[in-house]
Amino acid sequence: MNRFIARNGPAYAFLLPWFLGFFLLALGPILASLYLSFTRYDMVAEPRWVGFDNYVYMFTRDRRFWKALNVTFTYVALAVPARLIMALVVAMLLDKGLRTIGVYRAIFYLPSLLGSSIAIAILWRQLFAADGVVNRVLADFGIPSHAWITDPNTSIYTLVLLAMWQFGSPMLIFLAGLRSIPRDLYEAAEIDGTPKWRQFLRITLPLLAPVIFFNLVLQTIEAFKTFSSAFIISNGSGAPADSLLFYTVYLFNEAFKFFRMGYASALAWVLLIIIAVFTGIAFLTSKYWVHYENERD
Amino acid sequence: MKTSAIKSGHPLSEASKLDFEIDEAARMAHVLRLKRERQQRVGRLLKHAFLIGFSAIMLYPLLWLLSSSVKPEDEIFSTLSLWPSQFMWGNYVKGWYALPQSFTVFTINSVIVTSLSVVGNLISCSFAAYAFARLTFTGRSFFFALMMMTLMIPYHVVLIPQYVQFLKLGWVDTYLPLVVPRFLASDAFFIFLMVQFFRQLPKELDEAAMIDGCSPFKIYWSIILPLSLPAMGTAAIFSLIWVWEDFLAPLIYLNDIKSYTVPLALRLFLDQEGQSAYGQMFAMSVLSLVPVVLFFVLFQKLIVRGIATSGMK
Amino acid sequence: MVEMTRRKLLGTAAAGVAASALVGVPALAATRIRHYWWGNPERDKRTFAVIDLFQKANPGIEVSGETIGWGDYWTKMATQTAGRNMADLVQMDYRYLFEYVRRGALKPLDEYIGKSLMIQDFDKGPIDGGRVDGKLYALNIGANSQVMVYNTRVFQEAGVDADLINWTWDDFAKACEKISAKSGGKVKGADDLALMIEVFESWVRQNGREFYDANGKVAATVDDVATFWQFWADLRKKDVVRSKDKTVILDVPIAESGIAVGDTAMSQFWSNQLVGIQAVSKDKIGAAMVPHKAGGKPGQYIKPSMFMSLSRDVKDPASAIAYMNAWVNDPAITKVLGLERGIPVSQKIRDQLAPGLSEVEKLSINYFTAIQNKVGGLPLPAPKGAGEVRDAFMRTGSDVVLARTSVKDAAASFIDDAQAIIDRAQ
Repeated sequence: MNRFIARNGPAYAFLLPWFLGFFLLALGPILASLYLSFTRYDMVAEPRWVGFDNYVYMFTRDRRFWKALNVTFTYVALAVPARLIMALVVAMLLDKGLRTIGVYRAIFYLPSLLGSSIAIAILWRQLFAADGVVNRVLADFGIPSHAWITDPNTSIYTLVLLAMWQFGSPMLIFLAGLRSIPRDLYEAAEIDGTPKWRQFLRITLPLLAPVIFFNLVLQTIEAFKTFSSAFIISNGSGAPADSLLFYTVYLFNEAFKFFRMGYASALAWVLLIIIAVFTGIAFLTSKYWVHYENERD
Repeated sequence: MKTSAIKSGHPLSEASKLDFEIDEAARMAHVLRLKRERQQRVGRLLKHAFLIGFSAIMLYPLLWLLSSSVKPEDEIFSTLSLWPSQFMWGNYVKGWYALPQSFTVFTINSVIVTSLSVVGNLISCSFAAYAFARLTFTGRSFFFALMMMTLMIPYHVVLIPQYVQFLKLGWVDTYLPLVVPRFLASDAFFIFLMVQFFRQLPKELDEAAMIDGCSPFKIYWSIILPLSLPAMGTAAIFSLIWVWEDFLAPLIYLNDIKSYTVPLALRLFLDQEGQSAYGQMFAMSVLSLVPVVLFFVLFQKLIVRGIATSGMK
Repeated sequence: MVEMTRRKLLGTAAAGVAASALVGVPALAATRIRHYWWGNPERDKRTFAVIDLFQKANPGIEVSGETIGWGDYWTKMATQTAGRNMADLVQMDYRYLFEYVRRGALKPLDEYIGKSLMIQDFDKGPIDGGRVDGKLYALNIGANSQVMVYNTRVFQEAGVDADLINWTWDDFAKACEKISAKSGGKVKGADDLALMIEVFESWVRQNGREFYDANGKVAATVDDVATFWQFWADLRKKDVVRSKDKTVILDVPIAESGIAVGDTAMSQFWSNQLVGIQAVSKDKIGAAMVPHKAGGKPGQYIKPSMFMSLSRDVKDPASAIAYMNAWVNDPAITKVLGLERGIPVSQKIRDQLAPGLSEVEKLSINYFTAIQNKVGGLPLPAPKGAGEVRDAFMRTGSDVVLARTSVKDAAASFIDDAQAIIDRAQ
């Protein structure tokens, strides 16, 4: 027992705030939502136990559930790589050399500051409307105008663009990662005459791997949970023709618009499992490409 | 002089030939350096040109927001021009006092909630991250997985159980539900972020300190934290921005308009089904960005400085 | 020194606010009631003024005013309902009333009528709009009806001379053609209303049916839907209504409607929104009725625009009812409220307000008077799930607008879906 305390005491002491928060505040509501997923609950009357009904309905009869999955997976597959590459390239451009760097950094972060405000929704609908600014620019290049946001076949791409354009937070994290790489490694490589691209492969990538891993995992989770941007741009409906019916938008409407909190909870747990599987895979494969300084022998 | 000798075609002595070769090498090096500098200059110019062009795209929304905040109400939706036909600067003054409480009150509220939350986040999350990243203990992977799980669950389904919980504690209509969880490391994003950075520090650091008899807290405080300034700066910035812009939790937990935060107040301007005041709302949105941008500019220095310049390693 | 004091002052002020906010200020008054509404700056200002007036007249009652915009109102309401912590008095919308009543979240008002709630001499029709299954669950605090808002300048220029109260769908189509032709296609006749279930409901009633029958079954037929969508498809084909690209973005705010941005000469709204529309329109607006079916029954009806309801979680019903009663009877209070929430359903109050009305407010009163005997009775209360049927209508309709399915197939599939949704919600 004493040995247990000696071994774990300091760590548990540091974790105390988190333990308190998790076990006293977070865990209860999480378990409650798990319970609710097996009930019919309209938020007014008491929840009524229905066993696996919600899950069965979801997989066998709910067409919009599959639609929502489809939209969300498409978005994750496109937006996550696009945003990460964008963020990494810009972060590397900003990392070295330029004196006016601070100004750019602030400017590039601005779109992310505006987040998913009403302003962005109005702006985005104006930009990509048939008579909007984007089409005017494209017309100069001879590209015919198109109603990007209201054509169900293209609406999702405008959201991918929005995600790319709000690359501020992964960029900042990449930048912090790049800044944590000791400069003398590059200086030594410079003296050895190692070309830039090899410096990138040999020094930057491996030392940045933990941060790349972080951004990859977090951006994937966030992309699966994308809510605000899709919600505000489609006025909460997932329109046009359900092409912006992101999983969480569907979930939100089921819960708060149609009074099916039980069903929404079931939806949430299915999403949780999907995200957990992807995150789990990322963690398993990370053994092969992410190496940490404090585990090096 | 030497070049003229070559051109004139005079036979060269062995010594002067050697002399020439050395000289030629230096010349070549000089030319190469010039070339590289020119390339670098061109490269830098290209880089700037690219960054400036790119900035224009990134700045567009802000310009749009600024212009909408001074446009006459009926022009916001009907014209694409960024230049208003007349400037309604009055939106800024009117907007500030348009609601039953002035924005002075909302701003003070936001500052209180945000500053407490940022402090709470930084302390509690760096504690947890230090344990996960640099200490060994029973159940580490298990607890880490639990922590990651809190990141994955869609927030909307825990909203109601959480509300019921805080209601039972008697915390509804106070700032406690917004602030207390942040002192209890509720935001796993920051824990995970800091873990990734803390793990990048060489383990010899703690080992050496341990041999010197340092306590884990001392190691955390005087070694890990100072070496993780970029990570802490990033966490501070994100934490500030997200809490400042947080809308859902204040919406659910605050009832009294005197306690509303800025994002909540901004929502009072719009009535989809009736009369709205878009111009004033945009004007107040612009003002609400000011403190965030200022903070960003101040704190990004932390990110830029890093261990690279702090002389360690 | 100056710097020092200022910082100190700020510090104390902030700390004071923080402390009071963190612990919650204890109520000083004998009893406290909470009133929750969705609003906008104008409505909030008026409502807080009313609260002040009421508190001065009733020193024993403290009223806590709680407000947020429409978009977030229902999320917060659902959360408070789930926590059994609803405000004592909540503002209700016709669309949500039945959902809340049928789930048991509201209390009936019948026992107070004539005792502490004096509404016996109010217009019977609009008051009955708050009745569900024979009991009054919601007090009408403003009536309204659908209105086809039009741009008076464009109408004049195009020479539209139809009788805008008695006109038919045929007249409407002709007006659309005239306007589009006159402007060379720059201004279209009207917004494409194919996705507006409220307009469709009028269409069904004009055909002599209700959307839902007394058993809560869907009574509208496939034919009703098909003819309605076909009517709009024809106008779309002639290119005299707003582009489909603007139509399939659903539930856009007023400010993005065709009449507000100048794309079209007509949009469909509710009469209490006239002030809001005028605020974002360049030209003077006018009010027309939803067109009639030649030889058909009246479709449009007058409904409550907003209700005030007593919630299931009410702590002190007597005080809450006193506040409610003052809202609709106290002349000082009704004067402050004006027409902002809709037209008062008491003739007495309407007469009191008449002298001080603005031009657009007069428009709304005149319109309201003009349609009085052109409208039908209130429809039967909608069953649970009606809100979701509304969404399904817009969704299926979008496929028609985008020409992804035929009108016939879409109409059949909508009626099937609607019944399935209602069945699932029971």
